[in-house]
Amino acid sequence: MEQNERLKLLKKILLTEEKEVTDSLIADVEKLSNTLNQPHELAQKIDPLIDSKIKKLVDDMPKKLSPVITSALKAEIKNSQDAVVEALFPIIGKLIKKYIAHEIKLLNEQINAQLKKAFSFKNFFKSIFRKKDMGSEIIANSNQASVLQIFVIEKASGILVAKYAKEEFDTMDDDLIAGMLTAIKSFVEDAFKMGGQNLETIVYELYTLHIQSFHNYYVAAVVSGTYTNEFKDILEDKILDFAEKGISKEDINNSEIFSSRLKTYFSEQII
Amino acid sequence: MSKLSKKIALVGPFGVGKSSLFRRFIDDAFSEDYKSTLGVQIQKKVIQMDNGTALSMILWDTEGHEEISESRSSYLLGSHAFIYVFDLTRIDTYKNINDQIVFLKSNYPNVLLKIIGNKVDTVVLKRVKKSLKEHNVNYDCLTSAKTGENVAELFVDIAVDLTN
Repeated sequence: MEQNERLKLLKKILLTEEKEVTDSLIADVEKLSNTLNQPHELAQKIDPLIDSKIKKLVDDMPKKLSPVITSALKAEIKNSQDAVVEALFPIIGKLIKKYIAHEIKLLNEQINAQLKKAFSFKNFFKSIFRKKDMGSEIIANSNQASVLQIFVIEKASGILVAKYAKEEFDTMDDDLIAGMLTAIKSFVEDAFKMGGQNLETIVYELYTLHIQSFHNYYVAAVVSGTYTNEFKDILEDKILDFAEKGISKEDINNSEIFSSRLKTYFSEQII
Repeated sequence: MSKLSKKIALVGPFGVGKSSLFRRFIDDAFSEDYKSTLGVQIQKKVIQMDNGTALSMILWDTEGHEEISESRSSYLLGSHAFIYVFDLTRIDTYKNINDQIVFLKSNYPNVLLKIIGNKVDTVVLKRVKKSLKEHNVNYDCLTSAKTGENVAELFVDIAVDLTN
């Protein structure tokens, strides 16, 4: 073999593998070039990737952005309280205005009813002899106090002796109310060792519990409306009067008769 | 049908199971969770007696005191019956029981008194009876609020005694 042929053979042996690799690379580059230069081809490859990224971003957004937005809002509200109040005021203001208008309308209706009653012929003649200011009377009458429920309870044991409740006002088990009321009353009277003083009222939002103690029992009246000193005096007198005339020893032992007597006595409006 | 109401106060040291007896009788339930009673809790159960009387048992479950004299007297006043409860597993709840009984009987005469050993489900009866004898404890009944043993019977006995 000549030198040239030997060199060719050696070249072939050494470069065959390299050539295959080079050819394959050239083919890949051409393919990539085609993909890049043709939008349709490129879109087919990239669109699914972008879609999945966007979906992930949308899913993660509340979790990742919420703390940032919340803290930014907090900081903003703290730094510009006046602006926030200014922004909210029209909304809250409207609500308050609506509520006040509604309440004034109700009050107005009540006062109108009272005025109509007050300026009747019957009341005109009455008013000539009346000492009290008619205006304040009308206002007081618009939320007049009334006894909704009345209990007579044995002082030591807390056992209910008699009870009267207006039909529309009924509560939980009367025996339990009597017991718990006695426990509360005893606790308060023991806790504030003020020497023989009694718990007289418990106020529960719109209701007042008027408590009047006697030797062996006490009377608890649930009052709704404006519990004025005048009403308190009248109620006290009424209960005292009932205790004097309406309660006998036999009554204490007969709950049914006692309860019916209580109903007769307290079912009418006190004032 | 006549109606009658009676106040029954549960008294005794801390953690003897007064509230558990109370709950077993009222709701027929029991809980292992121990919650100390503060002040008093009141519940009612109506028992229909054989003589036609509907007896309202107003139960006052009072807070525990080592000495009955420390109990708030206003919670005990006017009671028609006392249930003095001690713990069969704790000697300290019954070793001085006779002093407590003397106090109750002298300050609240004519009030029915039942002395109850509770938690009978957790003791060896023979051994505990020996211990009770050694400490001169005259009990009326041994109960278990956990299993309900003798609980209903205790309250029915009291109801019968109060209506007779």
